[in-house]
Amino acid sequence: MQNRKRSGWGWFWQSVTGVALIGLLGLHMVAHHFVAAGGLRDYQQVIEYLSNPLIVVTEIAFLIVVTIHAMLGVRALLFDLGLTARAERMVTALVIGVGALTILFGFWLTYTVTMQGSMLTALLAP
Amino acid sequence: MNLYRPDLKRFRFLRWFDFRSWRLGMIAYILNRVTAIGLVLYLYIHLAVLTMLAQGPSSWDPFIRIARAPWFLALDVLLLAGMLIHGLNGLRIALTGFGIGVRGQKPLFVALMIVAAVALIAGALKIFAG
Amino acid sequence: MSITLTLRILRSRRDVMPHYETFEVSVSDAANVLDAIEQVWAHRDRKLMFRHACHHASCGTCAVRINGREKLPCIVPVADYSGKPLTIEPLRNFDIVGDLVVDMAKFFQNQQASDFVITRPTENELVGKPIAYTGGMDPESASTIPFNRFENCVECGICLSACPTMAGDHKFFGPAGLAAIKRQLDKTTDPVERKRLLELADGEHGVWRCHSAWECTEACPQQVFPAESIMALRKEITKKHFRELFGK
Repeated sequence: MQNRKRSGWGWFWQSVTGVALIGLLGLHMVAHHFVAAGGLRDYQQVIEYLSNPLIVVTEIAFLIVVTIHAMLGVRALLFDLGLTARAERMVTALVIGVGALTILFGFWLTYTVTMQGSMLTALLAP
Repeated sequence: MNLYRPDLKRFRFLRWFDFRSWRLGMIAYILNRVTAIGLVLYLYIHLAVLTMLAQGPSSWDPFIRIARAPWFLALDVLLLAGMLIHGLNGLRIALTGFGIGVRGQKPLFVALMIVAAVALIAGALKIFAG
Repeated sequence: MSITLTLRILRSRRDVMPHYETFEVSVSDAANVLDAIEQVWAHRDRKLMFRHACHHASCGTCAVRINGREKLPCIVPVADYSGKPLTIEPLRNFDIVGDLVVDMAKFFQNQQASDFVITRPTENELVGKPIAYTGGMDPESASTIPFNRFENCVECGICLSACPTMAGDHKFFGPAGLAAIKRQLDKTTDPVERKRLLELADGEHGVWRCHSAWECTEACPQQVFPAESIMALRKEITKKHFRELFGK
């Protein structure tokens, strides 16, 4: 008999984040491709865009949700290689680690760019 | 080649690529995997590219000029196609998994892919129009 | 009228490297594929290992793959292939005992886990009243033990062979076993038993492992609809989880 002690919340969260992504990714794509003048934002436009705190919150939410969805997906795909229980635990630890690093990197990037932006705006202010 | 021959057991990981029949549910399953892998790769390419933002306008703006070239915009259309296929088919998987539309999963797939196609055409026009 | 048919059969034994062997047999144009396999055994090679019993899709023992698709060869007419060569292979995702015979032990174990039996109480007559047939039994026991009708599932293993999740993850409980759990769930209102059944279906390698390719339902020769059962179980388990999460 298989180890069936733990329930399958993975699929549940995969679906919930997936449905959430339809909204968040839709917003992300519209904001970056269909609204910005010239199709894509140059540096100045990115800075202006990120000066809106609501946008920053949405982008961070998108970052977290998309990373969870991607990591659960990668885990499911790797499990299909027919892994041993030990390898499965390693994959789980790996996706948690990579996911956490991804989110941290996103935080750092958003912070750096917003900070640069506010410094730049302060310098350029008359 | 038969991947299920007992002497090929040590290559069992190759069964991952066994796409079997080409029935509708199987096609949806294959599309979902292929787009999933593409989108995960893109996520990391995207993050790597965005790192240029941290290096300031001297790094970012030349890139954006390339990214506004038509051949680069074609890649954006490809990305949009992946997102629409994965997202809308994913919606079907989520709905049926919660017991909604189970008996109608095939028409649901066809309908969602028509929505994807229409959205892709509209999106492509918008991307190229700027 | 009889026709000549070419069969390419995957042969393997513990001491024989797997290889394809081609046989030509003569069968009636009204024959089914199983008849052609039997012809190989009868006239070409007495060592061919294959399995069958009923010849009419109710025992589920003969399941093989014909040209890559899982079938019960006993009910597939050779005419379906209009004289083209047939490649006959054993089911996927099972250990091969020899030639076309696979080891079903684990499959039956999972079928049994839910106490699924392939018989069930008889249905009522069309007008709604219980069937009064006593069939030689004494009338008293006839009223308490109605005769049985078979379940749709013939336990042939075709759905496991068609399932792409099963190919990747040998720990997956499998469509047939999960469909059996769903059938048992439908038969009981006992909360303890329902909880046991839902826990059996739950877990990383239970219902959540399915990748929704719907191949089991497509391949099933008997309208068991295993994929639909998996979806129904997911719904039930999710409901159970939320009830537990909110204290009841």
